[in-house]
Amino acid sequence: MSFVRCLFVSTLMTSVLLLAVAHASTSETARAHRDAAKTRVPAALAVRKDLGPPPAGVTELKFREVFKLPVGPKGLEPTDKLSALDGKRVRLVGYMVRQDPPPKGTFLLAPLPVQIGDEDESLADDLPPTALRVDLGKSRDLAVPLLTGLIQVTGTLHVGMRADPATGRSTPAQLVLDAAPERALRHVARDLAAQSKTHKHL
Amino acid sequence: MHALPSYRRCLAVFAAGAFALAAHDADAARVSRLTPPSELFSSGEADPVIARFLPGQQFDLQATVQPDAGQSIVNFAFYVDGSPVTSRNAQTIARTSIVTETGPADTCIADGRTTGASGCKLVSGLPSNTAIISQRAFTKSAPGVHVFKIVAQQGNGVLISASGNFEVVGIDRGGTVAKNIIVLLGDGMGAAHRTAGRILAKGYAQGKAKGRLAMDTFPYGGMVMTASLNSIVTDSAPGMQNYVTGNKANNNQEGVFPDDTIDPFDNPRVEYLSEYLHTLQGKALGIVTTADVFDATPAANAVHTSARGNGTGIVDQFLDDRDLTGLTVLMGGGRKWFLPNASDSVSPQPANGSQRRTANDYVLPDDVVNGWGAAPGALDPERDLIADFQAAGFAYAPNKAALDRAFLGHAPNKLLGLFAYSNMNVSYDKISGRRGDSTVVDAFGFPDQPMLDEMTERALEVLSKNPNGFFAMIEGASIDKQAHLMDSDRWVHEVIEFDRAVAVAKAFAEDHPDTLVIVTADHECSGAALIGASTLTTADREADPAAGKSAVGTYDAAGFPKYAILDDGYPETTNIDHRLLIGYGANADRYETWLPSAFPTKDTQQPFPPAESPADANVRNEGVGYAVSGQVPGDQAVHTATDIPLSAFGRGAELFHGVFDNADVFFMLGQAAVGGAD
Repeated sequence: MSFVRCLFVSTLMTSVLLLAVAHASTSETARAHRDAAKTRVPAALAVRKDLGPPPAGVTELKFREVFKLPVGPKGLEPTDKLSALDGKRVRLVGYMVRQDPPPKGTFLLAPLPVQIGDEDESLADDLPPTALRVDLGKSRDLAVPLLTGLIQVTGTLHVGMRADPATGRSTPAQLVLDAAPERALRHVARDLAAQSKTHKHL
Repeated sequence: MHALPSYRRCLAVFAAGAFALAAHDADAARVSRLTPPSELFSSGEADPVIARFLPGQQFDLQATVQPDAGQSIVNFAFYVDGSPVTSRNAQTIARTSIVTETGPADTCIADGRTTGASGCKLVSGLPSNTAIISQRAFTKSAPGVHVFKIVAQQGNGVLISASGNFEVVGIDRGGTVAKNIIVLLGDGMGAAHRTAGRILAKGYAQGKAKGRLAMDTFPYGGMVMTASLNSIVTDSAPGMQNYVTGNKANNNQEGVFPDDTIDPFDNPRVEYLSEYLHTLQGKALGIVTTADVFDATPAANAVHTSARGNGTGIVDQFLDDRDLTGLTVLMGGGRKWFLPNASDSVSPQPANGSQRRTANDYVLPDDVVNGWGAAPGALDPERDLIADFQAAGFAYAPNKAALDRAFLGHAPNKLLGLFAYSNMNVSYDKISGRRGDSTVVDAFGFPDQPMLDEMTERALEVLSKNPNGFFAMIEGASIDKQAHLMDSDRWVHEVIEFDRAVAVAKAFAEDHPDTLVIVTADHECSGAALIGASTLTTADREADPAAGKSAVGTYDAAGFPKYAILDDGYPETTNIDHRLLIGYGANADRYETWLPSAFPTKDTQQPFPPAESPADANVRNEGVGYAVSGQVPGDQAVHTATDIPLSAFGRGAELFHGVFDNADVFFMLGQAAVGGAD
């Protein structure tokens, strides 16, 4: 925001244009989140009743396997299973966190539906510490469309508490999404953008 | 009057924005805010007097001054009853400040007005040359209404002034003082919550209660008006702090008056009862809660901030200012704030679940440090606060077993108990765990949490070692949290747990007659109403969870629900055939089944919920229960402005009667502890 404001001071017309563009971009992403209930969940991420075992070479990881239970007197500790999966492909089932502002090229996956607002709540919110960051390897500028309900993600796990450079939010492990679900997310985003354009012309 | 170094910075900022000011701001010079708040300043009426203090109680004087366009403030003085309280001596200078918008001009000022952007000093919408003038830690001992005045001088010599008033309340009744004060606060506990607890725990027969809650047996009581400074509906921060400062705070604020700066830790302060009694009498402070200890109610006894969510700074202040408050016992949840976070900006970080962050830590300005003798604070997410507590002599208990071990032989001198990652599990689930079904407490990761009455016993053992007495605040926090979630089974259980803590305090007061115990709430939550009893059996309700209104027996059909109480003091089950039914007058949309939920609904401060927990009250039982349309926006029930009951026992209890304001309670406590009673 400070960048936009500086431009505003230096040249009013340019900044008005930039603000309009930024507003349009934000509006589209925000609309994607608002219309999430209507957003179809692509097959590569959908969870059906009989999920079945993960594909060969992929290990199932559950949120309750992220930290040792009960919690120790000095805090959380990663499970041996989590540590052993560093660099391996895993499948995780959870909920995409509804974020405000919406994320680009990444999203958070939590064990239950959560909504967080970084601007309003800073980092003191109710995001479960087991939530993991899911990164889109090749689509870092993609405004990730919000998918509601349970989803499955498959990708390569990187274990270790690391902060998201954009938000400062730390997660105990990060998962780089496989190409197929990443491609599916891009298609959903593209479809939403097309729908948005159609609506504008109506 | 004197000029301050910050004046030069102010002039520089002002010069940069002079053109914009001349073009856009033609407002006359004025004082737009004067603290402590008064009707004399706001409306010109001398009554009612808003700000009141005990003799010698410290508070800050502050004014927001908006000079003429092109001018800035160069000198100032506060006067009380015509006498200056600011002088030229060095100590006084160190207790004063002028804060102006010294942030980057291109970010912090637009069109001659402050923007309130991140990194700036002042809130948005003020003229860019506005000055916030403070005089820290003022005291007045003479009882009566006093008039105070700010006189600020612009660079061109023009004076700007405004007046307000405050009262020093005498505590001259005399009598024997109460050495120990115990405040038991059932958060959100209105009359309906108390009645529900009695129906479940004691039962009725032919119109007569078969027994009384411990809080019912207190001989004195009254009704409390709960408004905050800025609303008829308070939240828990002013709801608590009004009791222990004698003054009203805005919602979300604790131990401070509102101001026009962005910094949440520099607001004008008002001294807490704990600080007052520790300074005056050497009393110890104990804080016991079932919430995260950074939560509004516990923090509003010892921490000064305008932002109740700033967890890192709040828990740091608990320890850092223990010499001001006498903090001796701190128990509850909230371990996440005490664990070291090596850095909040550089990875990798420790995977211990720490929520400590620079963004919600604290550093105090010099005038606050000098005026109040407070620790300056530091932005230190890497701090191992548990270790620091231990180094300061606190025994640390992470669970009930460790709590019991800490008392083997003799009670520790100081005690820190952090029994959960955030809020502790509620009584309903803790008791289930003790009875063999530990599904919920296991899922949360904390299978061995103490009950509130057990924590209270341990706290009183430690606190009573102080020969000068103590002030203890014991909170049943999740009466409120579960009422927000409209989880009737869980908040009624919380009332029963809370009342068992009341019984412990009452027994202590019976053994120590120099003790005053009051039981109250900070506000009512959810508009809870006991609407009748179920006409359906448990099996029928389970067969038809959407039965809704057809299950509600009103008037005669309600009869007297009969619950079986086990040896542990809690109902065998809340899900009896003809169970008590509870409606909500301040409800959000919900789906009612008249059945318990196996898992607690996720609460907004509990960051470690199991996957089975419903996400919120408005989706719990969605598609299963009877849809009840809400009357309030959002996902949860809300606080109400309804008066709440207060009960008193022990020395000075007779001071509490009639209908009174929450801030009045402070002066009754002060009378009992300092002036005397009986």
